Amino acid sequence: MFTGKTRVNMIVVPALTFVSLLVLWELTTVIFKINRIILPSPSEIAVAFANNYPLLLKETGITMAESVLGFLLGSLSAYLLAVTFVHSRTVQQAVYPYAVALKSTPLIAIAPLLVLWFGNGMLSKIVMSALVAFFPVLVNSVSGLTSIDPEAFDLMKSLSASKWQVLTKIRIPSSLPYLFSSLKVASSLAVVGAVIGEFTGSIEGIGHLINTSSYYLETPLMFAAIVMISLGGVLFFALMAHLERKIVFWEEPR
Amino acid sequence: MSHDMRFIEVKNVCKWYNSTNGIVHTLDDISFSVARGEFVSIIGPSGCGKSTLIKLIGDLLEPSAGSIVVDGMTTEEARLKKMFSFVFQNPMLLPWRRVIDNVRLPLEILKREARDPADLLHMVGLSGFENSYPKELSGGMQQRVVLARALTFNPQILLMDEPFAGVDEFNRDALNIELLRIWSETGVTVIFITHSISEAVFLSDKVILLSSRPAKIKDILEINFLPRPRGKSLKESALFQETVKCLREKLE
Repeated sequence: MFTGKTRVNMIVVPALTFVSLLVLWELTTVIFKINRIILPSPSEIAVAFANNYPLLLKETGITMAESVLGFLLGSLSAYLLAVTFVHSRTVQQAVYPYAVALKSTPLIAIAPLLVLWFGNGMLSKIVMSALVAFFPVLVNSVSGLTSIDPEAFDLMKSLSASKWQVLTKIRIPSSLPYLFSSLKVASSLAVVGAVIGEFTGSIEGIGHLINTSSYYLETPLMFAAIVMISLGGVLFFALMAHLERKIVFWEEPR
Repeated sequence: MSHDMRFIEVKNVCKWYNSTNGIVHTLDDISFSVARGEFVSIIGPSGCGKSTLIKLIGDLLEPSAGSIVVDGMTTEEARLKKMFSFVFQNPMLLPWRRVIDNVRLPLEILKREARDPADLLHMVGLSGFENSYPKELSGGMQQRVVLARALTFNPQILLMDEPFAGVDEFNRDALNIELLRIWSETGVTVIFITHSISEAVFLSDKVILLSSRPAKIKDILEINFLPRPRGKSLKESALFQETVKCLREKLE
């Protein structure tokens, strides 16, 4: 697909951009003597990272655990609800408008409520994560499960196939490309949800670390925390993209 | 048995739909019969309701008036007995299944063993492609897979809705010859929709000509005077070309 040279360039060119930006950033902070509370230099961030890496790893681990659990809870229940919708128009008519209405509510607004209900531990963050991961998966799964060639149904009807057979042999596999493109979106949103939950009220996690370092004006540590959680999010997304390529092998990724 | 001569009997069938512009008539008083093992083509202008007719026979739709009897049964009873097998223009192969698993699909649904999928792939000339995925095959090859899939459960009636319309002419001729060979080997009854006059003449015992919408039967032409087995050379014969010409004039 790509020749060896293009493949190398795909890694080398962005890496060069990254290094040059770091150098530029370092020089800017030194030349203009920028206060490290406002903008620490990359080397100061690296020092903060080296001094605090057990803490950073632990907090990132907590937030990622919340994100992954919330993601699983949200996407699984969204997919099951989508399957129910497809088999019962009544359920769809009864529930879908409220699902859309809830989607339009800025979920940050209900974060304090979740902390009130589920405490300031991991549970409230998992629920927050699940809520934000839920909608893209629901919407995409419904379209994936329903956008099927009418002739496929004709084929199944001529064989007198049961609803269960149509679901397992046609609908679910056809929905996988749609499902995975929404899982990629949901994986990123789940991390956002967990961090927002932690900002609202928490005793641990990367959001808590960012909050406290901001309180103590430890900006380099704050940057290190941001870098860590970005990496976590990128890894999560990459894992979904990898699963998509493995599972939905018959289709070009969207 | 009179059932064998009137294996499929379509009697005064009408079909209309309610649409936003009022009632749309697609089929008007259609009557014909098909003998067991016969190869019958239905030809007519596009949009005239040919597909509707074949779906009525296969019990995917219900007639608004009239009746269809298949081997002494209603179309629903015949469908539940798995007598019909459809082949559409769109191959409808499942892209996540290997070729052999696509051919096996009807057997999985019917939960019965009938014909060996590998033998059928051999019959349609696709030995060695068992483990390929559909997207790795050409359009003509995909239709061969569809043919194999349609035959796995030993259906008695093959309902083909413009199956080779998306295939180029060269492959279409080869597929037609293959189809005739499979038809004579299996003894299956075929109802074949096409808009190609020469394809209809080449394949059929009988051609049913439909008028434009609402479709009525214009004419039914027996073409058993063309010898079988039919091969490529038949298309060059004067008799064949004369028949095609005669049909074209009738359709106009």
